[in-house]
Amino acid sequence: MEKVVQAVNLTKVYQKNNNMAVYALNDVSVEIAKGEFIAIMGASGSGKSTLMNILGCLDRPSEGKVLLDGEEVNKHDDETLAKIRNKKIGFVFQTFNLLSRTNALENVELPLIYSDKDNLTDLAKNALIKVGLGDRLDHQPNELSGGQQQRVAIARALVNDPEIIFADEPTGNLDTKSGYEIMDLFQKLNETGVTVVVVTHEPDIAEYASRIIKITDGKIVSDEKNINVRLAKEELNNIEKSATVKD
Amino acid sequence: MKTGRIIKTAFRGLSKNKLRTFFMMIGIVIGITAITMVISVGLGAEDRVMERVKKFGLESIMIYAGGGTEMGRGTGGQPVTTLKLSDADILVSQVGTIDDVSPFSRMPGATVKYQELSANPSIQGVTFSYTSVWDIDVSEGRFISYEDDARMARVCVIAPTVQKELFGEINPIGEQIRIGNVPFEIIGILQQRGTSPGGGDMDNRIMIPLQTLMRRTANVDYISGIKVKLNTTEDLEKTEATITSILRERHKLAEGEPDDFRIITPTEVTQFAEKVAGTFNIFLVLVAGISLIAGGFVITNIMLISVSERKNEIGLRKAVGARRKDIQTQFLLETIAVTFIGGVIGILLGFAGAMIISVIIEMPAAYSWEGIAAGVLFSSLVGLIAGMQPARRASELDPIEALRS
Repeated sequence: MEKVVQAVNLTKVYQKNNNMAVYALNDVSVEIAKGEFIAIMGASGSGKSTLMNILGCLDRPSEGKVLLDGEEVNKHDDETLAKIRNKKIGFVFQTFNLLSRTNALENVELPLIYSDKDNLTDLAKNALIKVGLGDRLDHQPNELSGGQQQRVAIARALVNDPEIIFADEPTGNLDTKSGYEIMDLFQKLNETGVTVVVVTHEPDIAEYASRIIKITDGKIVSDEKNINVRLAKEELNNIEKSATVKD
Repeated sequence: MKTGRIIKTAFRGLSKNKLRTFFMMIGIVIGITAITMVISVGLGAEDRVMERVKKFGLESIMIYAGGGTEMGRGTGGQPVTTLKLSDADILVSQVGTIDDVSPFSRMPGATVKYQELSANPSIQGVTFSYTSVWDIDVSEGRFISYEDDARMARVCVIAPTVQKELFGEINPIGEQIRIGNVPFEIIGILQQRGTSPGGGDMDNRIMIPLQTLMRRTANVDYISGIKVKLNTTEDLEKTEATITSILRERHKLAEGEPDDFRIITPTEVTQFAEKVAGTFNIFLVLVAGISLIAGGFVITNIMLISVSERKNEIGLRKAVGARRKDIQTQFLLETIAVTFIGGVIGILLGFAGAMIISVIIEMPAAYSWEGIAAGVLFSSLVGLIAGMQPARRASELDPIEALRS
């Protein structure tokens, strides 16, 4: 299968004040194929966010190399990395990180501002339609629910048609139902061929992915296919059913 | 990356926080308003002085008796008695560039009476050449003639203020007034002259024949000054030097002895006016400039706060592909836009202020395109300098750190 990301022997070391070296990542190798849905799981401080930042070209490893689309990216300077992030990577954050006092359409246009593309409004509109917010284009973040805000953020990650989407605890700030909706959206996007990597510490969120990588103390302790992929759509249906029963 | 989009982004950033933008702008607005006002009023005043100098005549020279600062007075407070009527005649006949002269003498304060009314105008003894040398004429009646002067006639010409004070609506020509205790017949009314550059009323005076003043009323053989009319505006210095040497010789001044007269040329007058206005302007512009610099520091400060408030936004922009340069440009454009707009508002307010001041002090205000360009340019420059440090700080933020905040 075509590989999107290849990380070889990644090590990330932080020098503490007392000159003790702290390994956030210790000799980690991982490959991500096109169209995969991966969950990177680990407790806080395990190094999962560091791994995501390095794979997402926001950070560089102390040792090892990262190949994105076959291109070794960790050698590039900041400017080139910014360009790569713009073209090939989409980010979704726990706290949504939408620009306040800026409507959904303009929030989604943000990555396009830094691209060479021209039809900003059309592309942003299409991305919002894809996440089911075609009727909320001119709503500002404070006029949207948490789940809707995260969907705007996902539209923003999608708008430049990236190779891969990294989502860091995307359901961490949401209620259960909105969390299911977001995972459902990711599963649907994955079905259309989008490569998704979700970083989480919640085991039940990881179960929506088709492959689960577990990290402890900067090392990969397991990397397995998930044979029992849960479907977020079913969870949503269950909630609706129980609500109907209660009525 | 297209610059137009970054400009749009910068303006959006400003419009999102209008209060912050307002506070950033206010210092620049005040500074530029002050500068515009000062320059406009200053230029207006300068124009006015030049206009007056032209009225005085660019081809004219004034000779005053006395070398000191006080006209007509020596160092001891005694009148200088060395400038004579014959000096004026000699100058006309000996200096080729001199067209005509108007010798005059001032009479120390005398009360002027008409029936029960009295006034205190200045009284000058002049000859018939006064009208051509000073480029002024009577509005009614006639001016003092050669014969009036030769026979020491007791006739006088009054200026409009005197006419208003003593006669009101009555036609004064042919009426008798008393200067001191001597009766004079009014033969003419002088044209209106307005205020002097020093602010004095030039229409509150009475002219009498010079000989009448010297022989009949004051009993002196010297004059206060001579206005010289030249036939060319060139070689003013040369003419001045010639006059000086003739007068020094006639007054028997030894080498090293100071002049007992003073020569004022229009060049000197304009230079003096420009110097005074220039010093004043430099001082005020300096003060306004300092307020601009202070405004610049305020902007830097607010922008630095804004950068740390917007760390999240900066981190996000970087994560989605903004380069250092893009972030730097965005924040720099925000400050430049603030100061540019502040500068434009300042210029408009400054013009309005100058207009109000010009009405109050009754002096025209002048506007110069160079001044407008300089104001906009200078305020934008303040923005550029003030914005550099915050923009650099914003661009150097680490995206991971910035997103975490």
